[in-house]
Amino acid sequence: MNRHLHSTRRRFFGTSALSLAPIALNSLFRQQSSAAEIDSLSGPLQARTPHYSARAKSVIFLFQTGGPSQMDLFDPKPALNRRDGEDFPDEFLKKVQFAQIQEKVPQIWGSPYRFSQHGECGAPMSELLPHMATIVDQVSFVHTMKTDDTNHMFAELMMNTGWRQFGRPSIGSWVSYGLGSESQDLPAFLVLGGAPRSKAANYGNGFLPSKYQGTKLRNSGDAILNLSNPAGYTPQRQANSIQTINALNRIRYEENGDDEVAARIASYELAFRMQAAAPELLELNKETPETLRQYGIDDPARPTFARNCLLARRLVERGVRFIQIFNTDWDHHTALATGLPNMCRVTDQPSAALIKDLAQRGLLDDTLVIWGGELGRTPVAQKSMNPNEAVGRDHQINAFTMMFAGGGVKRGSTLGATNDLGCVPITDSWHVYDLQATILHALGLDHKALTYRYQGRDFRLTDVHGNVKHELFA
Amino acid sequence: MIFRFPIPLAVAGLGLLFIVERIPAADLPKASREQQYKEQILPILQARCYECHAGSEQESGFRLDTRHRALVGGDSGVAIIPGNPGESEFLRRITSTDESEWMPPEGERLSSSEIALLTDWIAEGASGLPDSIAEQPTHWAFQPISRPTPPPVDSTWPHNAVDSFILDRLRQETIEPSATASRETLVRRLYLDLLGLLPPRERVTTFIRAGDPDAFERLVDELLASPHYGERWGRHWLDLARYADSTGYESDQPRQIWAYRDWVINALNRDLPFSDFVIEQFAGDQIPNATVSQKIATGFHCNAMFDGGVRWEAVIDRVNTTGSIFLGLTLGCAQCHTHKTDPVTQREFYSLFAYFNAGYVRQMDFAGNLVDPPPSPVDKTTELPATTLIMTYSPSTTHLFVRGDPRNHGEQVTSGVPAFLHDLETRDDQPSQRLDLARWIMADDNPLTARVTTNRVWQRFFGLGLVKTENDFGVQTPLPIHSSLLDFLSIYLRGKPTHPIHQWSTKHLHRLIVSSATYRQSSHIRRDLLESDPQNHWWARQNRLRLEAEIIRDIALDAADLLTPKIGGASVYPAQPDGILAGRATPAQWEPSTGEDRLRRGMYTWVWRLTPHPHLPLFDAPDGVTACTRRDRSNVPVQALTLLNDPTFVECSQALGRRVIRTDSASDSDAIQFLFQTCLSRLPSQQEHKLIEQLLNQQRQTLALSESECQLIVGESSLPHISLTEQAAWVVIARSIQNLDEFFTRP
Repeated sequence: MNRHLHSTRRRFFGTSALSLAPIALNSLFRQQSSAAEIDSLSGPLQARTPHYSARAKSVIFLFQTGGPSQMDLFDPKPALNRRDGEDFPDEFLKKVQFAQIQEKVPQIWGSPYRFSQHGECGAPMSELLPHMATIVDQVSFVHTMKTDDTNHMFAELMMNTGWRQFGRPSIGSWVSYGLGSESQDLPAFLVLGGAPRSKAANYGNGFLPSKYQGTKLRNSGDAILNLSNPAGYTPQRQANSIQTINALNRIRYEENGDDEVAARIASYELAFRMQAAAPELLELNKETPETLRQYGIDDPARPTFARNCLLARRLVERGVRFIQIFNTDWDHHTALATGLPNMCRVTDQPSAALIKDLAQRGLLDDTLVIWGGELGRTPVAQKSMNPNEAVGRDHQINAFTMMFAGGGVKRGSTLGATNDLGCVPITDSWHVYDLQATILHALGLDHKALTYRYQGRDFRLTDVHGNVKHELFA
Repeated sequence: MIFRFPIPLAVAGLGLLFIVERIPAADLPKASREQQYKEQILPILQARCYECHAGSEQESGFRLDTRHRALVGGDSGVAIIPGNPGESEFLRRITSTDESEWMPPEGERLSSSEIALLTDWIAEGASGLPDSIAEQPTHWAFQPISRPTPPPVDSTWPHNAVDSFILDRLRQETIEPSATASRETLVRRLYLDLLGLLPPRERVTTFIRAGDPDAFERLVDELLASPHYGERWGRHWLDLARYADSTGYESDQPRQIWAYRDWVINALNRDLPFSDFVIEQFAGDQIPNATVSQKIATGFHCNAMFDGGVRWEAVIDRVNTTGSIFLGLTLGCAQCHTHKTDPVTQREFYSLFAYFNAGYVRQMDFAGNLVDPPPSPVDKTTELPATTLIMTYSPSTTHLFVRGDPRNHGEQVTSGVPAFLHDLETRDDQPSQRLDLARWIMADDNPLTARVTTNRVWQRFFGLGLVKTENDFGVQTPLPIHSSLLDFLSIYLRGKPTHPIHQWSTKHLHRLIVSSATYRQSSHIRRDLLESDPQNHWWARQNRLRLEAEIIRDIALDAADLLTPKIGGASVYPAQPDGILAGRATPAQWEPSTGEDRLRRGMYTWVWRLTPHPHLPLFDAPDGVTACTRRDRSNVPVQALTLLNDPTFVECSQALGRRVIRTDSASDSDAIQFLFQTCLSRLPSQQEHKLIEQLLNQQRQTLALSESECQLIVGESSLPHISLTEQAAWVVIARSIQNLDEFFTRP
């Protein structure tokens, strides 16, 4: 059940004349039939028990698409500045796979940004992220993330679906499949923000039933597609119509006994509740000015990353299981010194505010927050074809940084280290499959046991790979 | 069932080897050579190799217990080359000095006398290994199709042979079949299954009133002859063909291939024999004196997603699609290495790959001229000339990808078919090509294609196949309850020798199935079967099936009398919400179609793979990434929101409301009856009537208070001379009826 908004919902339905008279959904023939049985057919999701006791109940994945430059933000490498302009050493040329750099021997590029240590843990942080610098004692950094593909699209799919091609279920879908929903009014898996390169496949259900697909909260028009009533249909008219539809459906259900009809009735009821709950969700003017200021929201109606971060907190409060915000675009091949500060201004304050806000409301312990992109960037400069354009950094897949908070994650901890050029790990890598296994673990799901049979094979998010990184957790 | 050679616990045999005098085998007659194999070679293999390389144990895809597999070898090379021990990987491994690769990997190494025996044995032809298939217990689906006789059942229930099989089994379970569905239900079921459209009100009435015993059969024949039949069944086929109007991947370029879609519709309408249907799609370009139409058919494998940088992925998809939809096998696993339980080895996978690796997609105009590279439009107002994509042949070498990695080329392979099935007939001793593969697939010796195809047809009519795993007929799939019926139908589809006129006639098979009493049963859930057969494995009833994404919209338009019945042509752009195409790497246009193209059947909607029309994924239309053999039938709240609130469905409710008013019904009752008959093909019950009447009168009251609301509900096309309140009230009612589960569910 909803963890934090019992009172809110009671208020909402209590004062609303528009609640639907409940349609009894017990299977007509099966007296023992439970909601879970109806769910198992096709209806809306019910909460399910995890494999083992869970640290986290929800996940907020702040997905920074394009690949933030870890050595300019989280993983300082003074050696780069000392050796600025030197040829990239031969030994690493063989180990590092570039995406775009064509030069035989590119040059090392020192970070243009100053780092300083923060918090009791003394974690270094770039001057570009002053707000995130204030939460280092609440988070863990992992500097040895590793993925398999230098192409954004495939690296996105790898990160979100565990496979470098289209067609596999996304992690949010796997989680919905494994745990169901705790929300009675909203989908279990909601997606916000911009569009990643490989689009909806990043939150698609793949071969899982489509009720596990991510629902996109849209930036313009209805927050959820067709959420608004058609012109002329007052909420009362909509309620009366659905009431009649479901009463007629129930008559057929009594006749044909098909639980799909019961699931349809439940679906229409949930749709009606969503019509009320989703706009209420978006009423950010109900937040205090102080909260809006913390997130850096000037105009609550304008779709921004900051607004999405605040919405994420509100979604967690409403029992939504998996929330993914796509923040585009960190792909600074050139003119990094212009683009990176811009992106940091977008992400810094809201990301920090979200973690503080969750902590302050007692929600951080059972919410796993993840910050990171599908790949990292090179210690060498990528030169633009345009001689007037400043340099940037190419893609790097051997080592990059992600940040974790809440859901039982250690506070003020740094895991994994890279060499002095920041291009290869010198401690154990965290492959994407390890990350996925670890996220599922935080939710109480065993990545080896969470399988779905399709085309004669038991599939899982982590294919045949993945190790849970227990060292992430306190 | 797992076959396992007995492995001697003691290696007593080994001792013998040293005392048996070696006989120069080449001088021996065949029988003696086999004798030598049994006495001298087999004991070594059994003792030292079989633990990992025989029966179900096939480490690295290599097994030594059948001749074919021993000669083909495993993933790391050709194992045994008769007459050439020096080139045989098998011998290299047992004599290797590199610990990482010597065999056997554990225990004592083979003695020099054992090695000498094996060397001579290979040099002299490696005789004696058992031939593959015959000696193995084989999986039911790989066996030749039996010709079962329908079991005699003493009952008047059966309409045809299908029912004899079904009833025979039901009798064993002491279960009676369900009652025949009502005539209203039957006519609706047939229209939705065969055309994907609603039965017209008048047709329902004439069918119900028809007194002659042939009325049902006449209706079936009428529908099978309808040009919309090809649309309904064509869309099923396009699911398999992963049809879309763009290339997929991040770039997701547009492409013209609708002529292929129309070819499918047309081929089904004229009941092109399924064997030709398949051969033309596989290799229409290679048929002697190929027609333009036959070349258009090869669009089938051009549908694969395509990106120039990863061409090999399209080739792999063609192999996987072929395996999935014709053999009912998941071949993709063999892309990386051979799996114990899979009948297809990694090398065989790449032999199939070789057929498609020699295939190149080109662009052709409708006069049959190749016109690539595509002409670029002079300016935006110039329409591109109509073309389509076809497959062409160009020789190409193929290498196995080591561990599935396309950058890591292994040995070269030539085109060929998996050995676990029948042999390939080639032409002129040339390396076999796609046409040979197509003929191999459709050969009478192939038991899989007919079974898999028939099973999918059953699945379309009943929701689930006789084999539930419609895309997996592999060794882990148990013999289905109704294997005899499956075989009977498969033989029936092939049409010989018992039905020579109907060879591979799809319509003929459809007619048989829908005419059966089994198909005509009620779909009501039965209390008495909830415990014993909740999944309906015995077919003691029909199943209710939520309709597909395209069909839900089609029938909403149909009920509202808005549907443009035009068949075929370039894809169209019905209205869709803003923002669907935002942020694409390749900018895409969605200039909404106007005129008759605005409201065409859903199968003509342009499909951008990366950013499809939102109704399609919402109602489980396939994503066109790989072949889709069965659609999901999900039931989520956003579907309810769409059917209630989406502008297209709202427009349908407005038009349906107008239609009710225009009928000039004498009373509310007449109008409610008209709505029920139009949308649900039946009359309302008293209780239903009352519920509708209540909503109607309530809406009349509230709508009377607000003319502006009425105007908004009715929309721009209000009727003159009729009160707006009245019009709006009927639109509200129409919208409710269109949202009934019954409306978008096949009964």
